[in-house]
Amino acid sequence: MQAGPVAPTSKAPTSARASEDSRPLFIRWQRDGDEAAREELTRRFMPLARGLARRYGHSSEPFEDLVQVAAMGLVKAIDRFDLERGYAFQSYAVPTILGEMRRYFRDSGWAVHVPRGAQERALRVRDAQDRMSNEHGRAPTVGQLAEYLELDTEDVIDALQAIHAYETVSLDAPRPGFGDDETSAYVESIGSHDERYARVEFDVTIASAMRHMPERERQILQMRFVDDLTQTEIAERVGISQMQVSRLLRRSLEQLRALTDAPVGAP
Amino acid sequence: MPNVRLKLSNRPENVLLVRQTLSGVGDAIGLDALELNDISTAVSEACNNVAVHAYGGGLGPLEVEIDACADALVVVVRDHGRGIHPEVKASDESGGGIGLPVIRALTEDVEFTALDGGGTEVRMAFATAKAATLVRAGGEEREQPTAIVDDTLANTIAMTIAPTSLARTVLPRVMCALAARAYFSTDRISDTQTLADALVAHTDRSISASHLSVGVSVAPRNLAVCVGPLPPGRASALVLDVDEDSLGPVIRRLIDHHEISPDGSSEMLALHLADPR
Repeated sequence: MQAGPVAPTSKAPTSARASEDSRPLFIRWQRDGDEAAREELTRRFMPLARGLARRYGHSSEPFEDLVQVAAMGLVKAIDRFDLERGYAFQSYAVPTILGEMRRYFRDSGWAVHVPRGAQERALRVRDAQDRMSNEHGRAPTVGQLAEYLELDTEDVIDALQAIHAYETVSLDAPRPGFGDDETSAYVESIGSHDERYARVEFDVTIASAMRHMPERERQILQMRFVDDLTQTEIAERVGISQMQVSRLLRRSLEQLRALTDAPVGAP
Repeated sequence: MPNVRLKLSNRPENVLLVRQTLSGVGDAIGLDALELNDISTAVSEACNNVAVHAYGGGLGPLEVEIDACADALVVVVRDHGRGIHPEVKASDESGGGIGLPVIRALTEDVEFTALDGGGTEVRMAFATAKAATLVRAGGEEREQPTAIVDDTLANTIAMTIAPTSLARTVLPRVMCALAARAYFSTDRISDTQTLADALVAHTDRSISASHLSVGVSVAPRNLAVCVGPLPPGRASALVLDVDEDSLGPVIRRLIDHHEISPDGSSEMLALHLADPR
């Protein structure tokens, strides 16, 4: 790495500025074993480690655990960085820190835990959606949910997708209310997209099949698709939550389709 | 042509659509969370570079292609602006940018190509045996639906998906994200997801080409989705009631209005959803 001029010409990130005058610190730590210099380097490059944790561990929970792992990677990089090779510290530190996080994810079974974290978020989103719908008399937007739950938009969108996929998949076994045992049911439903889509077909003439539906389901279908009411409006009239309406609608459509499809032969 | 081609603007929020598309592809081929996270992180960096640097703070096209080979998923991110190559290089030399090191660390292979007439192509290969499950789609390349291209770049995305079955996992995700961007309430988002499911269930069977073309325009509380190419007569069959006594096909109940336009020997179906509240 060249010592170079000290003042960066443009609005370089903090970490860039940090690297420009860090050479003496690396020398103090690596040559003289000065612990204070190592601490100062860690402090300076911590924004880099934190930034990488944010980019790579987007949906990791708890996030601070991942920052700790990234910090460990940073310290490794500080210890092993070879000043004489002339590269910027970042170009060595980034793969080292990412490598540390990837190893952590692999060893901790993160790939298994992430869906679980996502399911818990999905439950929170669903509950908040019900609560906000009841309070305001209409369903919230994604932005409102994100603000309310202090999540980012992407997490809320992922949660809505998980809810949608789950409600569509698990229709064979209608669930009672909002129980505690839902998480395991979610686990089983995740990744069942093929099954889900194989069963979702809509071009059916369903009037005759409707006669086999329970009264409430038939009413709700009628309100949504004939009277063209919104789910929230239906919820008000029937006295249940919007999410329950959404669930019932989806279940009813599935049942209708199963009934009308049966003679033709299924997937 | 690639399995998925996305044409959108370099607005920063479009990076989310790219990530959702990757998740949809990941679902289709069974990528695990780790593989998807690596891919998503690297591709986001490349797209963020286009969002921030390629057009000097202005708007311009962002193109993303996802293509499966036997042992790798290849993602291409392209811009037609200043190009991210010099930017990345410069910031790398000064030790500033971490986008390039991130991409390098997470890809099997990465190539930067300067395009004739300006712009840069970043081609990233991610090793995964699961890519082999995606049948490479043949067929001639088609133009995007014209009804959509007329709209302003900023609020429009166009995509082609092949094989059409891949749309099952990709389209609902993308439409959900766009409904959220249109400030739809969650019950209208739920409708949008149901519509997407219905569309992919249909298009899988009724598309008259090797790929599905989709264009989506977003405005506050309005979403327009254009799909095709469909065989003549199929578009109206999808939307219109077939039986006086029936509940009617679901699609018609979920949308506010629709248009059918010819597209060569086929037709395109445009569906409009609003959430006036």
